[in-house]
Amino acid sequence: MTGAITDLAETPPVVRRRWWGFLRWWPAAVVGLYVLVALVGPLLVDYDPVATGLTDRLLPPGATTHDGGVALLGTDPLGRDIFGQVVYGARTSVTIGALTVALSALVGVTVGVVAGYFGRAVDATLSRSVDILLAFPGIVLAIIVAGLFDRSITVVVIALALTGWIPFARMTRAMALTVRDREWVAAARVMGVPRRTIVTRHVLPFVLGPVVALAATDFGLVVLAEAGLSFLGIGLPPTSVSWGQTIATGKEYLSTAWWISAFPGLVLALLVVHVGLLGDQFNSYFHRTGRRGARSTSRRGSTGRGVEGSP
Amino acid sequence: MRAIPVARMTLALAVVAATAACSTTSGGDAAEGGKAGGTLTVASPYPTQSLDPHGAAGAATGTQIAGQAIFSRLVRAKPDGEMIGDFATKWDVDPQATTWTFTLRDGVTFSDGSAADSADVVASIKRVVDLKGPNAANFTGIDAKADGPGKVVLSTAKPDPALLGKLTLLFITPSDVTEQSFTKPVGSGPFRVDSFTPGQTLELLPNPDYYGGAPKLDKLVMRVIPEVSARMTALKTGEIQATWGIPDDQVAQLQGDDGLTVQSVPATSVYTMWFNSGVPALAKPEVRRALWQAVDFDTIVTSLYPQTGEVSKSVLAPAVLGYSALEPPKYDAAAAKAALQAAGFDFSTKLRLQFSGADYRQFIQAVVADLNKIGVKAEAAEKESAVFLEDLLAMRWDINFQSLSTPTFDAATNLGRLYTCAAKRNGYCNPQLDTVLNEAGSISDANKRKELYAQASQIIWSDAVGMYPMSLKIAYAWRSEVHGLEPNPSYLPDFSTVTLS
Repeated sequence: MTGAITDLAETPPVVRRRWWGFLRWWPAAVVGLYVLVALVGPLLVDYDPVATGLTDRLLPPGATTHDGGVALLGTDPLGRDIFGQVVYGARTSVTIGALTVALSALVGVTVGVVAGYFGRAVDATLSRSVDILLAFPGIVLAIIVAGLFDRSITVVVIALALTGWIPFARMTRAMALTVRDREWVAAARVMGVPRRTIVTRHVLPFVLGPVVALAATDFGLVVLAEAGLSFLGIGLPPTSVSWGQTIATGKEYLSTAWWISAFPGLVLALLVVHVGLLGDQFNSYFHRTGRRGARSTSRRGSTGRGVEGSP
Repeated sequence: MRAIPVARMTLALAVVAATAACSTTSGGDAAEGGKAGGTLTVASPYPTQSLDPHGAAGAATGTQIAGQAIFSRLVRAKPDGEMIGDFATKWDVDPQATTWTFTLRDGVTFSDGSAADSADVVASIKRVVDLKGPNAANFTGIDAKADGPGKVVLSTAKPDPALLGKLTLLFITPSDVTEQSFTKPVGSGPFRVDSFTPGQTLELLPNPDYYGGAPKLDKLVMRVIPEVSARMTALKTGEIQATWGIPDDQVAQLQGDDGLTVQSVPATSVYTMWFNSGVPALAKPEVRRALWQAVDFDTIVTSLYPQTGEVSKSVLAPAVLGYSALEPPKYDAAAAKAALQAAGFDFSTKLRLQFSGADYRQFIQAVVADLNKIGVKAEAAEKESAVFLEDLLAMRWDINFQSLSTPTFDAATNLGRLYTCAAKRNGYCNPQLDTVLNEAGSISDANKRKELYAQASQIIWSDAVGMYPMSLKIAYAWRSEVHGLEPNPSYLPDFSTVTLS
């Protein structure tokens, strides 16, 4: 024990920094792995959510199935492979996360920039609508929308993006508000540059960095929300694979077949944590570069989000 | 459980999810009771939303289980289906089965001390009909008359041999009840109400004036624990002392526990998967038979329901009057596929299999998997219970799944009601079947009726109006201190004779 502490104390600072340097890439590597699994996993692993194999039901991890295969992470009550569900679930989660965040960001940034740059009545109208929506619990709205329609990926994406765009709008607006009074924007205006060009050339670039950071943290929350909806049985149709569904299946078997809920739960938790870490890294990165470049911009940028960048 | 507002059909094992909000369990006074008469705490799989047995909730199991504890009925069914007197001590029926005379028990009083007599019976029947609840159709057209305080005469325009079964769902309330009476209703059953929180708890005290003798318990608490795993844990820890309607995978787990008794009783429910014969793709009996043959129900039932299921041999459950054993189709995927091709079945047709209730999800998915194996595009469509019911009646489905129970133990309930051309419930219409069912519904000779219902079952079975894969057993589990609990085939255990040690 004391030896270990001494060792640590004696570790040269150079090695420490290299250690940290390695850790910096850790979240990105993990998230990258998930994306990789989502992209190529289904090509390598064969899994059909509709087919069932009742003779192989509830097998523990590592057990041999009746046709000689190995159920790496066990099977569910219908004899379907949990490993397959984890891999295919990654594709579902990443797809839904990406689509929802893209949609949210698109709507949010558009509304935010328009409100922030044009100000006055436009701003007042848009901001108040945002405030009203903000008062509504996002997940409840998502449950209502997802519950009203037939289950499908489109419905889930829309249901989650319905309130997902709000943080983007708030942040973008705050930044556009400050950027539009900067000297170069004023100069462009005086020179008669069309508004659309000012917005795209002189305002948007300052917004994009923090938007990326926000998108990353949002991604994790969306993945979690989708799993939540599927857990409640109002998310994706049973023909698609979702971690949330698998976790829900396993909840009655927690004491007898823990692996059904445990593995998808674990991969879900890991993904959300690492996406969050990645988002924080983005956040602090843009924070720093922001300070170097457009100072006020970045300060507003970081206040637009509840999740602050780690130091 | 959601009630189906059509006659007495109950959808056994339906979703409990609607009351998920009250899933938190409040431990508390359950454990401290145990001595003397003691407090018995049980958890029913179905929440009691209302104590009014005549109204909209009248067909819900939750209301019926409370009803049989609080109110008395003219007759009630023993777990084996035999009818015994309750408020009535004897009854006579004329040969045409149109006039029934019930002799009432003497000296029965309600728990507020007032006397119960024939006027209350007549008023209760009138109230059921007037409220137009799901049980109203059972008693519409019945002319109920009091013949002095101790006799009731029921006469029907058409013969109604199944009337006794229907009367097991008629709970007798005082004649002057209003809707407000049912927050703390007065009845002449074995228990009286102490407190009631809809959808959560019902606390009952023994009724000292009950003519069958007051129950030995000090108190009976019926709770709702919607989450199955939480309910099992509560049973193991002693927070509740009995529960029933236990899913099969949990049964094995409970059987390993020494302090628990687990028993299954054959229910009156049969898993019923109608084909919508009105859909062109499913109009031919050859197609329907082939689809039935394409599903390996033997394997599905024995793997998913080793304890609580049995491959069904009839449209009806064995305990029901009119049951006769038939031969289930042999699973043969290749033959089924060939038969479908021969019948000109279009394999690109999407078949939507609608159902409601998470309990059935695995079963449905297994059926869908087997159909997909031979190239039939079947698709599970899980619906919220209200939507399910609406779509069921509007025929917006290709295959419909229900666990159909026969609480009256009479084939008239389901066969006579659901399979006629006029019923329009599954798109199937066969004049020959209509003739048989009409005759069976209009005579009182039990043996002749059995014969006719056997004929009807045979027609339904061989024309594959639906698939009838499984008859259900209900698993009951109780702790060793509970004595005298008799598993009931309709999810309606009677607690009036239960004692605690």
